[in-house]
Amino acid sequence: MLNSFGHVSLEHYLVLSAILFTIGMLGVLLRKNVLVMLMGIELMLNAVNLSFVAFSHFTGNINGQIMVFFVMTVAAAEAGVGLALAVTIFKKFKEVNIKFFENLKG
Amino acid sequence: MGSDAFEIAINLVKMIVIFLLMVQLVPLLVWIERRGSAFIQNRFGPNRVGPLGLTQLLADAVKFIFKEEFIPSRSRKFLFYAAPVMSLIPGALAFGSIPLSLPINVEAFEMFGQTWGPYRFAFQSFEIGVGIVFVLGISSLGAYGMLTAGWASVNKYSIFGALRASAQMISYELALGLSLVGIILIYGTFDFSVMISEQTGPLSFMWFGSEVVIPFLPNWGIFYQPLGALLLFITMFAETNRAPFDLPEAEAELVAGYHTEYGGLKMNMFYIGEYGHMMVASALMTTFYFGGYHLPFVDPDTVNTALMYNGYSATMASVLTALTFHLVFFAKLFLFLWIFIWVRWTLPRFRYDQLMDLGWKKLLPWALANTMVTAVVVFLMRSWS
Amino acid sequence: MLTSGLLFYILAAAIVLFAIAVVMSSNPIYSALYLALTMVTLAFMFFMLNAPFIAGVQLIVYAGAVVVLFTMVMMLFDLKKEQEAFARGKFTGFIKIASAGWLCGLIAGAVYMSSEMIVSGSKAVSENTATTKNLAIELFTNYILAFEALGILLLLIAVGAVSISRIKGGTHA
Repeated sequence: MLNSFGHVSLEHYLVLSAILFTIGMLGVLLRKNVLVMLMGIELMLNAVNLSFVAFSHFTGNINGQIMVFFVMTVAAAEAGVGLALAVTIFKKFKEVNIKFFENLKG
Repeated sequence: MGSDAFEIAINLVKMIVIFLLMVQLVPLLVWIERRGSAFIQNRFGPNRVGPLGLTQLLADAVKFIFKEEFIPSRSRKFLFYAAPVMSLIPGALAFGSIPLSLPINVEAFEMFGQTWGPYRFAFQSFEIGVGIVFVLGISSLGAYGMLTAGWASVNKYSIFGALRASAQMISYELALGLSLVGIILIYGTFDFSVMISEQTGPLSFMWFGSEVVIPFLPNWGIFYQPLGALLLFITMFAETNRAPFDLPEAEAELVAGYHTEYGGLKMNMFYIGEYGHMMVASALMTTFYFGGYHLPFVDPDTVNTALMYNGYSATMASVLTALTFHLVFFAKLFLFLWIFIWVRWTLPRFRYDQLMDLGWKKLLPWALANTMVTAVVVFLMRSWS
Repeated sequence: MLTSGLLFYILAAAIVLFAIAVVMSSNPIYSALYLALTMVTLAFMFFMLNAPFIAGVQLIVYAGAVVVLFTMVMMLFDLKKEQEAFARGKFTGFIKIASAGWLCGLIAGAVYMSSEMIVSGSKAVSENTATTKNLAIELFTNYILAFEALGILLLLIAVGAVSISRIKGGTHA
């Protein structure tokens, strides 16, 4: 329940995670800079991590923490490829706007 | 933190004292560095102000405080102010999590008409179970201080220095982390205190089911992990941006690197950050491979009982023992800090491609091989018995 | 109990504020620095949730490596203040914000409605089940296949990143 101030329950963490996910999603939707969009994706993945860790803490199950490892690895990999693409875009157009991505071929 | 007022108060005082200890060591290290470099280069060094030039430090501090505060007009003001602090905090936090001596046991006593129960204070700012992971994580945040300093001061030399520094830190962090995996596998813990308490007594280990004891060697990590110790030793220089890896500050190419535009106390804070990193690195080296605060072949319990036998109370004996072993820790720490200074004034600087080649093509494969071999040996020795 | 509640609200407010700052900063370098702050605060929150190892890894991987890479790449580009930071179109922008808010409300509502069903509070991870050792045992027994698949993924990513950003004809840029 969200009524008592002193007691922090699983719901608090889940709502925080939802808010964080939404902010990340807005970052992806609203921004035109590829790098900021990638940052939005990182925020979304972190929101998921938060909910995993919170579930793991409140249900006494350690599997949630294992999932966080996998999410982190995938996030790091995604950041690596995303940055490589951004560097390629920048070298060609001197700007990292999402609209230039349609020109990337072969 | 503590459960009652006395414990909380002592813990807060402890945090502040250890931070001040770290900061106050910096001027002393600067003096050692200047005298040491002078000794190596057959000069005199600072010897005019006070005995052995020791009050030169005070004069330097006064100079730093009264320098004109200069801020480039086109710089990003907020980040320009924030960067020195950002480079100082990680070192201080990491140093705070390393145990500097034995924990102090305080017996129950009467004060203000109330009994204050027995306490146990660890000789570190804060105890943290996953100390090694914490130190690695916190010290990897040091890159932000340099990056923001370089970027905020809008100077191409600064930004080149900052980019070099952070690329170097990211590259060598891999080798640093991997070189520690071996020792973690052997002791099976992330906790500094546990790791130090494993390194007492003479060298003894299980070899194919039978226990081997070598009585004339201490039970230090370096005898189990010589390659790991060497790799950590090399990567430490790169992580602290010291010579021969001081490319971020190569004065012939980059004026002064990421802190070109800084002066006065802000410059001083970068210095404190750099020396703080050196202290963290030396403390890690001591803790992992050289027995931490333990003196070889001396059991802390013996010291404690001897002190109590001589008429000290249990609390006082515990405090005195902790201080004694604190001095042992600092002796080891200063040995490594002196090696830092010695290497700086002896070896020339690497070229940037040599640095990257060393990090990625030499240190990383060797660290991986060390991890593999250690894992196999540890598995074999544990499954044998 | 009150202190832990207070700590949670402070950290949560900090996380939300920093995350909003990531999205709203027009200069991408400030976005990256705010992202680093978000990650560090999240690491503290993981620490509060009895997951100290995850907190440390969060510091090493996200704050220490991924975001530093972002910052470094952007400083390398030396982007001037962006000409168009946000996507154009007031109507589509409104629809986007509205749908995101709707999603958030939907999740929060679902959490609130189903709070009776969620196992809560009673079985917090005790100190000895959440050790790094148990984590490692779980990871290297039940999840070993996924772990190895991740290794292959990382190899593919490394090759892919090199081949994307490689310059033809030379070894150095």
